[in-house]
Amino acid sequence: MPGFRDSGEQRFVSFFPMRILLFSLLWWILTDGVMASWLVGVPVVLLATAVSMVLLPPFSGSLRGVVQFVPLFLWRSLRGGVDVAWRALHPRRPLSPGFIKYRWHLPPGLPRVVMADIISLLPGTLSVELGDHYLHVHLLDEQQDFLSEVGKVEQSVAAIFAISLWPEREIK
Amino acid sequence: MAIDEVVSILLLLAGAVFFFAGTLGLLRFPDIYTRLHALTKADNVGLGLMVAGLALQAESAAAVGKLMVIWLLVLLAGGSVAHLVAAAARRRGIVPWKR
Repeated sequence: MPGFRDSGEQRFVSFFPMRILLFSLLWWILTDGVMASWLVGVPVVLLATAVSMVLLPPFSGSLRGVVQFVPLFLWRSLRGGVDVAWRALHPRRPLSPGFIKYRWHLPPGLPRVVMADIISLLPGTLSVELGDHYLHVHLLDEQQDFLSEVGKVEQSVAAIFAISLWPEREIK
Repeated sequence: MAIDEVVSILLLLAGAVFFFAGTLGLLRFPDIYTRLHALTKADNVGLGLMVAGLALQAESAAAVGKLMVIWLLVLLAGGSVAHLVAAAARRRGIVPWKR
């Protein structure tokens, strides 16, 4: 995965504390904040952090990108839910499905998987296949403007991973 | 009844409406792809509203956190499984329904 896992050492340092923090939060949630549980919790958090470093090596990321994405995601999934609920409840069941191919501007690997996952939860789109050059998307309604929507999601994902999208002209 | 209880009940009812609509879509939509749309989107919103409604009645911050973790895990599973089912359907050559 070139282009998004470089300068690993620096990121290792910056991401190790972040993961300890997240696993500690999870432990606190699961144990309802009982103080005595930390006797087990501290070793478990350290072990989980170490295992996660092996299973999912550090990658670049932007907390700001994540925070900016949250309201966008909530609003869009609400719209997606309302849209599909309306179509399901409507007596005539209005659908005009179709397939499209969307050319990736993201590097291969985790960013593409995250994008495909998000696409499936947003209004009218379902990711069907992650090709080498294209993301194949099933649309609930061909008439809707899907391209700009998918493009916006791609930009958000790029911001979350703190990477830049490939410019149009460099894609073959 | 306190105002937060009223809001909580409204959120839970709204969540139930989305689950109902999602299930209706699963039964009414014409093919596997459109049915997946109905399931993933409607249940994502339905569960989100239920989690919000229950969070208002939660007794501790940790309980709210637990509800959030449940929602996030279901989102992750929903998005991934919908993709896997759709990918398998496409590999088997199931042709999407056309108007």
